[in-house]
Amino acid sequence: MSTPKKHFILAMEGVSKAFDGFRAINDLNFYMDEGELRVIIGPNGAGKSTMLDLITGRTQPDRGRIEYGGDTDLTRLNEYEIARLGIGRKFQTPSVYVDHTVEENIWLSLRGGRGVWSCLFARLRPADRDRIHALLDTIGLADRARRKAGTLSHGQKQWLEIGMLLAQEPRLLLVDEPAAGMTDNETERTGELLLSLAGKHSIVVIEHDMVFVRQIARTVTVLHQGSILCEGTVDQVQADERVKEVYLGRKKKAPATVA
Amino acid sequence: MQVPRAPRFLAGLFLRVALALAPVIAGLGDDAARAKLVGAVLSEDAAEQVAVVRDLVSVDDPVVLRSLAAWRLGNLYVWSPPDGGAGQPFLLEGATDAEGKSAAIRVADGSPLRDAAGTPVRVVVADLSVADTSSKVRRAIKVVLDLRAVGDPDPAVRRDAIVKLGQEQEPDYLPHFERRLPLEADPGIRRSLAEAIAFTRLGGTDPAVRIQAVRTLAELRSINSLGYLRKLRGQVSPVAEPELRRAVESALVVLEDYVWWGTLFGTAFRGFSLAAVLLVASLGLAITFGLMGVINMAHGELIMVGAYTAYVVQNLFRSSFGGSVAVQDAYFLAALPASFVTAALVGLVLERGIIRFLYRRPLESMLATWGVSLVLQQLFRHVFGAANVQVGSPRWLSGSWVISDVLLAYNRIFVIGFAFAIVGLTWLLMTRTSLGLQIRAVMQNRAMASALGVRTERVNMLTFAFGSGLAGMAGACLSQIGNVGPGLGQNYVVDCFMIVVLGGVGSLPGTVSASLGVGVTDQILQPWLGAVMGKISVLAAIILFLQWRPAGLFASRGRGLEG
Amino acid sequence: MNSPTQREYGVVAAIAVIGLVVLPLLNGAVPESSALHLTTFQLGVFGKYLCYAVLALGVNLLWGQTGILSLGQCLFFALGGYALGMHLMLLIGKLGQYHADIPDFMVFLEFPKRYPSTGGLPPHWIPFRNLGFALAAVVIVPALVATAFGWLAFRSRIKGVYFSILSQALTYAATLLFFRNDFTFGGNNGLTDFKVILGHDVNQPATKRALYIASGLLLLGTYAFCRWLTTTKFGLIQRAIRDSENRVLFSGYATAHFKLFVFVVAAVIAGLGGALYVPQVGIINPSDMGTDKSLEAVVWCAVGGRGSIVGPILGAIGVNALKSYATHSFAEQWPYFLGILFILVTLFLPDGLVGIPARVRGLLARRRPPAGPTPPPSSSPS
Repeated sequence: MSTPKKHFILAMEGVSKAFDGFRAINDLNFYMDEGELRVIIGPNGAGKSTMLDLITGRTQPDRGRIEYGGDTDLTRLNEYEIARLGIGRKFQTPSVYVDHTVEENIWLSLRGGRGVWSCLFARLRPADRDRIHALLDTIGLADRARRKAGTLSHGQKQWLEIGMLLAQEPRLLLVDEPAAGMTDNETERTGELLLSLAGKHSIVVIEHDMVFVRQIARTVTVLHQGSILCEGTVDQVQADERVKEVYLGRKKKAPATVA
Repeated sequence: MQVPRAPRFLAGLFLRVALALAPVIAGLGDDAARAKLVGAVLSEDAAEQVAVVRDLVSVDDPVVLRSLAAWRLGNLYVWSPPDGGAGQPFLLEGATDAEGKSAAIRVADGSPLRDAAGTPVRVVVADLSVADTSSKVRRAIKVVLDLRAVGDPDPAVRRDAIVKLGQEQEPDYLPHFERRLPLEADPGIRRSLAEAIAFTRLGGTDPAVRIQAVRTLAELRSINSLGYLRKLRGQVSPVAEPELRRAVESALVVLEDYVWWGTLFGTAFRGFSLAAVLLVASLGLAITFGLMGVINMAHGELIMVGAYTAYVVQNLFRSSFGGSVAVQDAYFLAALPASFVTAALVGLVLERGIIRFLYRRPLESMLATWGVSLVLQQLFRHVFGAANVQVGSPRWLSGSWVISDVLLAYNRIFVIGFAFAIVGLTWLLMTRTSLGLQIRAVMQNRAMASALGVRTERVNMLTFAFGSGLAGMAGACLSQIGNVGPGLGQNYVVDCFMIVVLGGVGSLPGTVSASLGVGVTDQILQPWLGAVMGKISVLAAIILFLQWRPAGLFASRGRGLEG
Repeated sequence: MNSPTQREYGVVAAIAVIGLVVLPLLNGAVPESSALHLTTFQLGVFGKYLCYAVLALGVNLLWGQTGILSLGQCLFFALGGYALGMHLMLLIGKLGQYHADIPDFMVFLEFPKRYPSTGGLPPHWIPFRNLGFALAAVVIVPALVATAFGWLAFRSRIKGVYFSILSQALTYAATLLFFRNDFTFGGNNGLTDFKVILGHDVNQPATKRALYIASGLLLLGTYAFCRWLTTTKFGLIQRAIRDSENRVLFSGYATAHFKLFVFVVAAVIAGLGGALYVPQVGIINPSDMGTDKSLEAVVWCAVGGRGSIVGPILGAIGVNALKSYATHSFAEQWPYFLGILFILVTLFLPDGLVGIPARVRGLLARRRPPAGPTPPPSSSPS
């Protein structure tokens, strides 16, 4: 009896993508285990956001394979099909429905009918209501349930968006710079939230803020010029000569933000 | 028309003899010619009348010529003396006076018609009896006048007469053509003469002459004879007249080839010229919409502002320097910059007053500028009237250049050149000046540019004014090829938006290629589908094309979009 | 959540009673001598406004609720109008100027030579003799055109101003097509000179009243439909697409399908409005479908207040009433007025007339010190 082939939640193999000759992603190989929390760092233009675009179907790779859950090729699917498979994505700038209440924002993200007809006749069931309130407790917005999302602060919007992602009950969460624009306090709470989710979900976090990275990261992947430069713990990565070379300055800055 | 056969045949025979004799009797004296004409006018015999008229072909006497022309138009009259003597044909001369009377000139000697007392009479048209005429006489006069027109001092008249007479394939005209040929100085008309001679000879019976004529027509690239040659191919038997048949076929190959290239060249020219019009009209929009993202529905009205500025400059020139041709030539040079400045100012006011508040709300800027377009249209309708105004063309933009039977209108050539010039200027501005650098910086990253000390407000203002100015200059340019009225802008605005979207928003090369693509496609489709269906097809094609490339031909690099 | 206030229902009910019962009675039951009498002409004008209000509701469903600004809504309005107009043309029969079996313009354009087998009637006109077919066409033709265009546009993710520009091009192309005589819809004269509808003389006051009431009912029905839609999850998604389409897409909704559905529904609404417009106004021609007409419909929405449901109705009726008054009293100045109104509304009243109370409240609230516990100062001491 052979050992069963290891199933990655996400496996990108030999993926390349160019825009008008600019190689945004260059022969990228990336593997992630189920339940893992992975942080991706890299200088501007390293291809971090493009990588998320490729996973979520926003752009199609020129070459390569993106496998999800061991059996699904994502490269042929479009955004909403990929989302329905259980891949949730949080954008860099908070995108919530500003004209809806916090409750409604979550309701629209709950698992369930996504078709035109089912939405015409969908009703909010008591079970949905309970689930919404449970989620609002998780993200700490229970007292703002009936407020319009547009009235929330920047950090609260970020949390709401994470809550909306959780409502989708994703297996894989892709989070793009969640701490951007947050106060130190908010950043720390965001980190705690993500850590509490790891294990139940597989999470990819893209981040610049090294303090935040240090708080949440177990494994860090450094992206440079569209491919992986190195992978390891925060300390390993920060000690890597090549990382120092491409990342010079940012590492020095990190301690400064601690103070 | 029912005409008895015999007299018609006789008339024809007579006519031929007369024409053949015409050079012989060229020396006919003027008095004798007039006398013959008087006789013919009074004659009852149509055949005789025709014969006399034909005889007069070589007479240069002005009275005879005027009389012939008048006779044909029914303006020749006959005065019958009260004593019952022979009638006297006469012409009217000069303007009618207050009583509606005119002076009368006798055909017989060109002297005034006198009454019994010897004083010149003045007559009223209504009282007169018109000289009898018939369709045959009129036709004969027409031919005589046309044959005389072969030697007319006006080249346009000469050319028309030669081409028309040549088409008739009447061998009797040949001597007239041949006499004219050595005298003719204009190369174009020499060619027409040669064509007319060859074509007439082709109508004859001598096989050798006909073969030579076919070859000449092919050498002359005579498009006019193409239809006849095609018919001839069907008529000439390859067995009975193999050589003629071969000549016709090889001539057809040459001519059809020539026509094919001519059509191609003509279509290409019209395509380029339409492309230039589209480019000129949409370049301003490529700046304001493409670079700044402002949906300016009043773009068409900025074009209109430019066109009306040209009109105003023209009127100012006329009122200050008079209406001479030189002034007409010069005003347009002043109108171009004036249009640029006026439209740029309007654009400036528009940007400061409305658009700058709406940079973050593109749909709203579209609606507000539509309001502006309504106001501007009505304003111009109020000031200049609802009808089109006349914007004259300088001499250097009138007429056309003929290459191989393809007409290249000067104003179209000008628009093509103008398109090159403003694209070049815009490119230089964007790449070689500090303003261009700032514009590109602001368009790429407003916040970063602002942080680096670029005054983004000022850059916005200047960019919009520049785009508006280009639209204005386009208006002055387009006033040379189309009507100028309050609805001018509306004719262009849909096309302009489609061009910019098709080309890829924010891409100058895209706008140029889209103009070219649309202009040429439109001109290729037009002969098959007609103007309207051609245009509809182009619009449909653009919509379908955007399925394939939603961001247009030259999309700016698409990285992961957010939000 | 988002349920309409009782007050709005009350106001709508009151207006519906006045519009659907009182006004027709003032026309039909009050003697002409009375000061309260409403002339049939005026009633017809009101009927026209109601059709415009239906159109405005369609525009709002797209623009106000979903963020899609279509400049082609009048195309669908006109398509609905043409579909019913064709039926009305065929009902004229021998009452026309040429006393022929086919509509006058077909005689004039020598259609009998083009379509000798049908006596001059183009084959696609024949089924329009049947009222049921014509009514079905009123719904289906706009729906089909909207489906085809919407599918192409939304599939390739054409949105925002690009969608507007493309819909403008579509409308422009359609207008050019309808202006052609050989497109068989009457060229630039369009369809006109209707005589009867459902066996009644179109010019009889009773017919006019019935058409007016039908328009009122259509408007009421459309209002109820739009109102209902806002309360559904679908309505929430519509507005979510407007505010953050990517979020909706990445939440697993096929936004293109939703947008296409809304686009088609809005086209059908416009088509229905157009179908009732034509017998009341008595003419439909290509100038009714142009982009400027569509933009005018957008103005009504903006003036009344897009996003709300009563706003567009208010805007359509208000602006058109003003226009009727203006074209009588100062026709020359009307375009200035419309243009400036539009500029001012976009700049200063993004929520339109219905947004004024909230704005006033907002201004007043800013003046007064905020009630309740003061929030902690935003800049914490450092």
